[in-house]
Formats: sequence, structure tokens, C-alpha cells
Amino acid sequence: MLRRVVLQTFRQGLAQSFFKRNAASLSESAVTQHPIETSEEASEKSGSKQKNGDESGNTVVVAPPEFRFMYPEFLPDPTMERRNKLKEKLERMDMLQRRSIIEIPEFYTGSIMAVTVADSNSPNKFARFVGICIQRGGSGLQAWFILRNVVDRQGVEILYEMYCPLIQKIEVLRLERRLDESLLYLRDALPEYSTFPFEMEAERRLNNSVVPINPIKVKLRPRPWLERWERQNLQGVEDLNLPQRYYDRAKEVAKPWEKYDLMLQYRKTIPAEEQEKIYAEVHSQLQQQDLKRKIKRRRGPSSEQ
Amino acid sequence: MNQADLSKLVSALRIAVKPKPRLFASPEGPAGRLRKLKATVTALVKYERIELNYPRAEEAQSYAERLISDAIRNGDCHKHTMEMADYWLDEKQLIHKLFKVLVPRYKEYNSSYTKLVLGPKTYPGYYAGTAILELKGNPFPALQPATQNYHYWLHNVLLGEAKREFRVAKAETNANLSEPVASKN
Repeated sequence: MLRRVVLQTFRQGLAQSFFKRNAASLSESAVTQHPIETSEEASEKSGSKQKNGDESGNTVVVAPPEFRFMYPEFLPDPTMERRNKLKEKLERMDMLQRRSIIEIPEFYTGSIMAVTVADSNSPNKFARFVGICIQRGGSGLQAWFILRNVVDRQGVEILYEMYCPLIQKIEVLRLERRLDESLLYLRDALPEYSTFPFEMEAERRLNNSVVPINPIKVKLRPRPWLERWERQNLQGVEDLNLPQRYYDRAKEVAKPWEKYDLMLQYRKTIPAEEQEKIYAEVHSQLQQQDLKRKIKRRRGPSSEQ
Repeated sequence: MNQADLSKLVSALRIAVKPKPRLFASPEGPAGRLRKLKATVTALVKYERIELNYPRAEEAQSYAERLISDAIRNGDCHKHTMEMADYWLDEKQLIHKLFKVLVPRYKEYNSSYTKLVLGPKTYPGYYAGTAILELKGNPFPALQPATQNYHYWLHNVLLGEAKREFRVAKAETNANLSEPVASKN
């Protein structure tokens, strides 16, 4: 509770200055808070360590800015009619509780993942599926992602709910992003672009600070397609080789004014101040869980020896 | 996909935002709606106080607020903010006004940057009524009288006195209650 109160008093000064700081100082401020400390201690200590340029000199707990890309499901649904502060808060608590039981790693669309689900019909009572994450969506406990793979020349897609109690394990085999946020066009691409072996092993990352972007351009099959891809301004697709009339029509139905509609953007997103509050609320617990797992992993092999 | 758009960070607006935009009758569709609002926002930044019909004023207010809050958050070196200023302000000298006059003026504000006041209704007149939309801190005389000090109105003085007496009486009863307990101990 203290954290929230402190944050509110400090918010006005912070809102303007915080995002102008460079990323280096941001990560620094995140490091100063030790993850095991309770929230009160953390805010006191960070206040003494943190050099903040604001004259008010209050203390504040700040989550690193990349958290909104790592954990987008902690942000509520931006549809205003459906907002409910209490429900959102309760859902965040439930999500953290679920995350303390199973590890939900950082992933993005384009990452290759393996998910193990409890399955009463399979002989060993679980089913493991490997595939590329082609889309990610939903907010709160309803967050989901879609994995796609080609099995026996048949495209297979499974939508997993991230906080579903049937999920036993989520692994990221290759952490990377693609040029697009949604890779649904892989459904119309040649099968080799979405074929991944089930016995694939997790790759080790050399540089943990950056998530690599895979600049691969996918070749689509000739029409007919599931969607009109030429209208979607896709970056990760090779030249579509369509007759000119398709591009003309795409131009006719395009909505170039939407990028100037400031309120449309506002209604689609959650304001920065609110995002800050939400991530300040969850980030210490997320870091705690992370640290516990690291310690467990380090102890694991030594105890076996 | 029910997930918040992460591509841009926006400041929270300090006005009440409606969940759905107002749609204006315009033969050009949504592009025409934006063109109408653009004229209003430009006029607002130029004249700082304008009188117009209520629906248009309310809608234009939110766009003006967004423009100013973006300018404050990102400054004039930000590409997207500059594009927006270029689109929303028809007269290009107003872009200078936005970044050099309005941003310093509103930097320390804790409230909204614009004010919407209901205008007089003329009979027979426009059905939705008029409104006066103004930028705060403008050089014109105030539209509404400054709030009065009501503390010395007779009934407020009497009520304040009654409250004080009640508080004193309650404190006395509390003291009386706690004394016997103390003596027992």
C-alpha cells in the first residue's frame, strides 16, 4: 500500500521527467532495488540511492520500461466500458500467484516455444507441443498465445491460455522477434517457414540484454489466401507479385487518417501513468520469483552431484 | 485482441473521456470528421477562446488536450509529435506557438489545459446549445466570477461553532469514560 501512496504523490513530477531519462539510468534505478526486500524497505533504500532530478525528492518504485513489452498481459483491456479497477487488481494478484507456481518466461511473437499440458487421454498423461508463436493477445487472466507447427505435412495450431491450470510447463526454445507483431500470414506461407522439430533443444542466449529480431522474409503461396495480406502493410513477407489492381484496391480501402486520430490511439492504449503504477505494483514480486528460480536452478545440479 | 497498444506512450488526460467518439454527419466519412475537428483545434490554439456548438467543442477539447499533452511529454524533437502538430495545426506559425508558448505555460499544471463552459442558449437557436472553449491561462478576462469565500456567511459561522461545541462535548464524555478505567488500574 505504501508504494502506491508514495507513487501517487510523486507521479506528477515524475511523469514528465521519467520518460526523458535515458535507458541506462532507468535500468540503474531498477537495479538499486533489491528484489528480496519488502516494498517499504525497497522504497526507502531506493530513495536514498536514487539520484532523481525532481525537486520534490520523494521516493518511488519504478519498473524498467521494457516490462510493458515483456509482460503486456498485466495491462488491462483498454476498452473503457469494460474497465473495472477492482477486478483488474484481483486478476493481477491471481496472475502473480499462478506465476509463482509455474514459470511463464519472457516471449514474443516469433519465438519458438514448447508447451506441456495435462492430458488425461494421452498414455503418459501429458502432451507436449512445439511451435512458433504467431500471435499473442488478451489481457489479465485471459491472456493467450497461438503456437503453430507443421506435423506430417499438416499445419497445426494450438491456442494456449497462459494462466490455464492445465498448463504444466512453458519453455522458450528460441527467443526472438520478427518484423511483424502478428504472424498469421504463416498460414498462407510455404510449410518450411513454420516447421520445427519436436526434439528441438533450447538455445543458449549469448547476449541477455537484447532480444534479437529475425529479419527473415517469408514467401507466400499463390492466391487464394485466408486474408488479403496485400492490405496489411506486412514487413516480413516477400514481394507478393499480385496484379496492379489488387494494390489499387488496397489503396482505396486504406484508412490513412487513422494515424492522425489522437483520441483513437488514446482509447486503444493505457495511459503511461497508469502503466507505471501497474508495473510498480507487480515488478518486485516478479523479480523475487525470478531470483528464487535462479537460486533453485543453481542448487539443483549441485545437490545431485 | 483486447490487449493495450504498446507502440506509443501517452499521458493520461485530465478531462473526462467518453468511451466512444462522437460521430459528426460528414459526407467525407471519418476523414471529414477529423478535418472539421482540425479547423476547431487550430482556431482554439490561435484565438485561445472560441464559441461554438457544444458537441463539436467537447470533441475538439479532447483532441487539443492530447496535442498539448504529447507536446509536453515528448518535446519538439520527437518525430511523431511533430507530425501530429503539423497535421492538427493548419497555420504553421501555430506549431511554434504550441512548443514555445503553450508547453512552458502548461508544464507545471496539475489540471486540464482547456476549459469548456456552457454558453447561452438563444431562442430559437441551435438545438444542442453553444459552448465556450478556451485555453487556460489566456489573456482575456475570466468568464466566470472568481469563487467567493463562503466562510463568513452567517449559517456557515453558526454551523462551524456548532461543530466545535459538539467536538468539545464529545472529548469531555470520552475523558469521563476513561477516568474510572484509569482509577481501577
